[in-house]
Amino acid sequence: MDKSTFNKTFNAAAKWPWLVLTPVLVFIAIAIFSPWITPYDPVVQDYSVTLEGPSAAHWLGTDYLGRDMLSRLISGVRVSLFAMSIVLIAALFIGVIIGSFAGYVGGKIELVLISIIDIVLSLPSLIFALAIIGVIGPGYWSMIMALTMAWWANYARMSRAVVISELHQPYIEAARVMGSGHLHIFFRHILPHVLSLVIVYASADAGALVLAIATLSFLGLGVEPPTPEWGQMLVDGMSYLEEYPRLVILPGIALTLVVVSFNLLGEQFALQKVPRALRGYKLKRKKRQRQLEEDIILDGKVDQ
Amino acid sequence: MNIKLDEPIFEVENLVIDLYAANVSVRAVDGCSFSVYPGETLAIVGESGSGKTVMTLGPLGLLPEGVSVDMKGIARSGDQNLIGQSEKSLAKLRGGNYGVVFQDPISALNPMKRIGPQLASQVFRLTGASKEKSKEIALDLLRRTGIPDPVDRYTRYPHEMSGGMLQRAMIALALAGRPRILIADEPTTALDATVQAQILELLKEIQRDENIAIVLITHDIGVVAAVADRIVILYAGRVAETGTVTEVLINPVHPYTKGLLASVPDLRAKQSELLTGIPGTPPDQSQLKPGCRFSDRCSNAIETCWQIRPTLKEIESSDGVHLVACPVEIANIKGKGNA
Amino acid sequence: MSKLILRRIILAIGLIIVASALTFSIIAAAPGNVAALIAERKAGPSASAELVQQIAEELGLNDPLPMRYGRWFSDAIRGDLGDSLRTGKSIDQEFSERIPITAILLGGGGIIAFVMSLGIGLLGAVSNGRTVDHLLRAFALIGASTPNFFVAALLVIVFSVSLGWLPAFGGGSFVSWIMPCVTIALFPGSVLSRVVRVNLQEIMSRPFATTGFAKGYSRSSVLIYEALPNIAVPYLTTFGAQFTLMIIGSIVVETVFALNGIGAFFIEAIRFRDFISMQATLLLFIVFFVFVNLFVDIVCLFIDPRIRRETHG
Repeated sequence: MDKSTFNKTFNAAAKWPWLVLTPVLVFIAIAIFSPWITPYDPVVQDYSVTLEGPSAAHWLGTDYLGRDMLSRLISGVRVSLFAMSIVLIAALFIGVIIGSFAGYVGGKIELVLISIIDIVLSLPSLIFALAIIGVIGPGYWSMIMALTMAWWANYARMSRAVVISELHQPYIEAARVMGSGHLHIFFRHILPHVLSLVIVYASADAGALVLAIATLSFLGLGVEPPTPEWGQMLVDGMSYLEEYPRLVILPGIALTLVVVSFNLLGEQFALQKVPRALRGYKLKRKKRQRQLEEDIILDGKVDQ
Repeated sequence: MNIKLDEPIFEVENLVIDLYAANVSVRAVDGCSFSVYPGETLAIVGESGSGKTVMTLGPLGLLPEGVSVDMKGIARSGDQNLIGQSEKSLAKLRGGNYGVVFQDPISALNPMKRIGPQLASQVFRLTGASKEKSKEIALDLLRRTGIPDPVDRYTRYPHEMSGGMLQRAMIALALAGRPRILIADEPTTALDATVQAQILELLKEIQRDENIAIVLITHDIGVVAAVADRIVILYAGRVAETGTVTEVLINPVHPYTKGLLASVPDLRAKQSELLTGIPGTPPDQSQLKPGCRFSDRCSNAIETCWQIRPTLKEIESSDGVHLVACPVEIANIKGKGNA
Repeated sequence: MSKLILRRIILAIGLIIVASALTFSIIAAAPGNVAALIAERKAGPSASAELVQQIAEELGLNDPLPMRYGRWFSDAIRGDLGDSLRTGKSIDQEFSERIPITAILLGGGGIIAFVMSLGIGLLGAVSNGRTVDHLLRAFALIGASTPNFFVAALLVIVFSVSLGWLPAFGGGSFVSWIMPCVTIALFPGSVLSRVVRVNLQEIMSRPFATTGFAKGYSRSSVLIYEALPNIAVPYLTTFGAQFTLMIIGSIVVETVFALNGIGAFFIEAIRFRDFISMQATLLLFIVFFVFVNLFVDIVCLFIDPRIRRETHG
């Protein structure tokens, strides 16, 4: 057995799943406290120090307008996570309402809604978002709106699936027999289930959203200058690629780190926490595999 | 009975197998010994979880993925000790000397490949015959295992055949390398009752023709009585009792064997005779305790049963060697004999 | 079998119609209509209301939406996608010049993603649980988290600026395609390598894998001969999905490497609010997505004997 320290780290991660939350929490903390921890104002230009390398005054140097790179990177966390949270919350809100409504009422209304959901999902989310930006024009709030309109359908489909599976649970029947009204059943019994599951999914989705925001900004269709956003900082830096690759590499690394943290969390969810009814096939298999391992170990049941 | 008392072709001595995964470790096999002679059928009997599969397939390196294994002891095949061999040399041994038949033939055959080619490629790999010759041999094997219309079945996928036919194909696959030992792991458990007898008959027939040894892993005493020559009763990773089938089934000594036999339904029994099970459940093998592992469920247990691990002792027998790991019962027999 | 395929094809065509109708109506709802934009182009910002009205009449923009969609769609089927508002060139001509560029990008990227995912996935499965396996898993995670514009920039910094081996702009010789194709392949390649790795691992715990070991195969032989054929269906399904997502990658990559493909055309159409080009490109995208998925579905039908035989008789 190869038991390097490297492996031990991985095994530790397997033992304490909540460890994977740490990087995400660190980034959230940076986002919240960024106005107090940035050494400079991220948008103030200082032409006396343009394109300077790292120094005691500017740890990561300055950009072509003399703005402090470190401050801009730190503020970038806030910009990205803020935009991401708005889209996520709005998409969740719309998706959960439409999806659970469709699942709860059933019939023709459900058929119409599920068709719309499926059509939206037949296009890659970012293409759909780009089409909407093309119609309403670029800009920060356009981007938020476009991404929300592209993202809600995922959560709607999920919510509907959860509602339908919950409706068939005996306790819902019991509540109905006891005379609970539709609204009471929905808000008291079904919605909490929907939310708990969909929120888990959404947090696994956050990485993809951060990427989408950065990509739109990189294409000049999202966050606009001078707001420090990594995708937009990166496209700014592209003109200085040959002499000052730092202007491109630093925001790129920051962006990748945030996305890695969220995707790590998402992978954890996919492996362990996500209910199998939703992922069906794939997850059922994973669960079976885990079951098998437990059987072998706990009961020595290799016979089966 | 055609028991040959010459060299055993597979011999396990004092085998200890520990399984590890994530945070748990289990001593699945705890100091077991047994041997198999050419032409005989050895039945290994125990409840699920007793370690019968691990004990038999473990030395061959056939344990599921994701479990790390630690093996001690000797598993002799010819002049080689299998324990401690590299995965590569074990792989070489497995295809040729050993044929394995698994419990559920539907999941034990590759669902994406046709039956015939699965078989022919194995023949090709092991015998070095030409492709055409391999196909011929494969068809012969299908015919020999009693599959009707082998030319048609050759091109079938596993999901298109019945369980009985698939188990025949599985046996054909196990025979492809002309093995000297056939290990059958619960070969009839997943099959219909009528098919079970046919498969057992087929195994016997093959044994007669080829003089190969069969190791039959099962929990079904009925199957043992029908086909086996000798029996090893396994409880919680240890051998409780072993001897010829006639001796052990007629004169069981170990309380566990007695309980096992009492829990077999007898069609000729009167309705008033209730089926008796063994109270309690097998012990948790991740917690090693001293003493006899059956003591918690045993009605005859005395204080020392929880303290001293019983060893296998030979007792008087009317047919072959009979070993029992229960000092209390052995003392009882001796007491009766003396009185 | 053929009935099943026919049904899939009809469904696919239906989806193309419905999805393009959705995008058509979204774009038709845009503020600032097409007629005004054309008038502005013809007569400058001071275009009169009559001119706008006249153009709208000519183009039939005052007709009800379903009628306009019907006319547009039937024109599109006959190969008339209209003229670009931005360049004035016919969109058919734009497409015939640009599709080959994006096709090379997607084709090259697809091949790299295929080779990379199988290589990494298999290597990970072979070195099960060892350091190499963990390193490959970490690589796949980072590959699936790095934005492709950053990948492109890094490649340019290393291979063009520092080493000078590869040109920073694509579209010329064979070598100029290397960086664009690698960039676009990294994300799908990483995602797919996880699919290979996870599915292989799952299949190795199935009884028929144990049978493979019992037949005397080594672990890597079992992986290749027994397990690999069994991941074909989940792999191809994900491959199809990832292949369609490469359109997004092509938008970014064509921008960075100055390639005049469909992705760049779409972004320019969005920037200039060229609704006619946007509609045409979206239709092209929809057709592409639907056909890739249709193709994958049909291939899976042929690959999996369980589905194939059941639908035979």
